[in-house]
Amino acid sequence: MKEKRILVVDDEPTILNLFTQAFERAGYLVTTAETAEAALKILEKESFWVFFLDLNLPGMSGVDLCRQIRHQYPMAIVYAVTGYASLFELSECRDAGFEDYFTKPAKLSDLVEAADNAFKKLARWKKR
Amino acid sequence: MRILIAEDDITSRAMLQAVLTKWGYHVITAKNGEEAFRMFQDSDAPQLAVLDWEMPEMDGADLCRCLRQQERREPLYLILLTSRDDAGDIVQGLEAGADDYIAKPFDTAELKARVDVGRRMISLQNEMQKREKLSGILELAGAVCHELNQPLQSVFGYSEILLMDLDADDGNYETLKKIQHEIGRIGELTRKIMKITRYQTKPYLKSQIVDIDRSSE
Repeated sequence: MKEKRILVVDDEPTILNLFTQAFERAGYLVTTAETAEAALKILEKESFWVFFLDLNLPGMSGVDLCRQIRHQYPMAIVYAVTGYASLFELSECRDAGFEDYFTKPAKLSDLVEAADNAFKKLARWKKR
Repeated sequence: MRILIAEDDITSRAMLQAVLTKWGYHVITAKNGEEAFRMFQDSDAPQLAVLDWEMPEMDGADLCRCLRQQERREPLYLILLTSRDDAGDIVQGLEAGADDYIAKPFDTAELKARVDVGRRMISLQNEMQKREKLSGILELAGAVCHELNQPLQSVFGYSEILLMDLDADDGNYETLKKIQHEIGRIGELTRKIMKITRYQTKPYLKSQIVDIDRSSE
């Protein structure tokens, strides 16, 4: 069941609730965290392969969280969902190891499609 | 670049106009300080000026003083033309708000060099002002996108979820579609604001507003 789990990090509970609903409807199990620090705590106990991170978080930023996740799990697929990103921040995102980014307001169907693609990719990697 | 000459003496004025036009400046002239002051109130007034010190109505130094007291959108570079040449006079002229002075009778090569310095200063100041404005806009753009996109995400997303549960023939389906479409438009606007890289304005009623389309091209 591990393959179907997603960790979503966003400092706004409304957004967490929304993304949870969208991913659960698509058949995923969702865990949420409001801060990068809380996400790292969760990662001490459970492992995830697919992540959706807000970039602007209180405390540690989404970009730094992505770096840590990719360092711990080089195969992890991490998406950024951000309210604002300058061109500079986008290039920093790629550098930090984000697979792709979405700007808010993002279509839920696009996010679900990204999750589907991520799990397809992971399945392909495991088969080889 | 446009330049304003304020000079009461007709010969001197014609001569200044001729040489400055020859050097590629677009010249407009005033016969005294007061006329010049009025011309400076136009929204497209020149930013560069050669002002004679000795003029009826309002002299060059007073004109400098009055102009410096005004809040102006664009920087001005003012050169005083004067037959006064002792240090005290020069200090007085510069303190009145002139950026430079040229002693009469002037050498045309010197006049050209000093006016060209003015042109360079104006270009530089305009460029700096544009950059400052752009950085202010980018800060505001960041704040607007951040603050607006969070609630937009919620409204947009929850309407998407509601639509998933509605049949297309449900009376609310079309209404919700319309709401979603309009929220989408606001989303497009914030995406455009995010792409701003330049400072471009467009007229709006009597003032100028940022032209989001051209600024984010």
